[in-house]
Amino acid sequence: MKRFEEKWTAWLDGQLSGRELAEFEASLPDKAAAEAEKTGARKLRQLLKDQLGVRALTNEEFFSHQIHERIAQESGDVSPASGRHRIESSTWWTIPRLLSAGTVSVAVFLVCTVLLMHEKKPTEESQYLTQILNARVDPVISPNATVSIFEVKQDRVTVLWTEGLQSLPADYAAK
Amino acid sequence: MQTEATPAQADVSEFDLVRRCQAGDTEAFDELVTRYRTRVFSMIYNMVHSEQDAWDLAQDSFLKAWKSIKRFRGRSSFYTWIYRIVMNVTIDWLRKKHVKGAGAEFDDATQLRQVDPASKTVPKTEPLPYEMMQRDEIRARIEQAIAQLSPQQRAVILMKELEDMQYHEIAEALGCSIGTVMSRLFYARKKLQNLLRDVYEKI
Repeated sequence: MKRFEEKWTAWLDGQLSGRELAEFEASLPDKAAAEAEKTGARKLRQLLKDQLGVRALTNEEFFSHQIHERIAQESGDVSPASGRHRIESSTWWTIPRLLSAGTVSVAVFLVCTVLLMHEKKPTEESQYLTQILNARVDPVISPNATVSIFEVKQDRVTVLWTEGLQSLPADYAAK
Repeated sequence: MQTEATPAQADVSEFDLVRRCQAGDTEAFDELVTRYRTRVFSMIYNMVHSEQDAWDLAQDSFLKAWKSIKRFRGRSSFYTWIYRIVMNVTIDWLRKKHVKGAGAEFDDATQLRQVDPASKTVPKTEPLPYEMMQRDEIRARIEQAIAQLSPQQRAVILMKELEDMQYHEIAEALGCSIGTVMSRLFYARKKLQNLLRDVYEKI
């Protein structure tokens, strides 16, 4: 014996027929209200179909791949037929490959940087030049002193021309 | 409901795919996953309303299906069989997360005297302003309404209204009687009509 809820559901879904349908409809106290409910149920179904429908699964291939991985982890075997080998070669190898490529790139960059900096660094800078330039000429002691620097790049020679110096700076003299 | 495989394709090779899966062929299982992943994900999403959770639960469902595929005897379609797994996984998850519907009064134990089935339903919520009747908001209203159903009621109404599944298929997927399915459907529809009447009457 069906309960009222079951009969009502079957009636809404058009599953009642013949004598069962006639008996059920005759038992309804308000046929018009029941029909309105039926219409409402139909609209609700349409609303759900229209608004919910199919929810797109983004990145479907990754979804399948992830299941494959989990199955492989669970089973722990490497069988060509299982497709695990294919997945490993196509994906897991890319991670160490990326890491090694990144490491090599950084190493090459560092080597090039060091070489360039080394080339730019003046290696044969005159000791005199450094000392003279670092030594300030005291305007009180040598008011007319002038220092001129000339550099001939082809020969990598630096010429210092000093005038009016009454004494050498102490640092220079000490060396 | 849109599927990823035509019925003909499914009929011709599904049995063969299942047999190959039972022999340990993961590529055959991959084919089954490809056929059903969107439907499974979509069903779970409509129950939990979270993409990330739906993704994880769909993954768990397929993994569980793989582990128990040897026990599949072919008495039902693979589709119904996997839906049973999906529903078990999802309903368990909902229970654990305590995402229970607020509609306790609509549980199966509710007596008929408490709800007059032929009574005209009246919307409990304020009608939305016309300018706010946009698709996202309607969907949000529907999701809120579905969230008030018990996990079993959600499963039943979604399988019936979205998947067009028969009572006996739903009963099989949920492991309950057809009468229980119809009863749950009755209360789920009543609840949703109460909550969404203003929405579907204005569209």
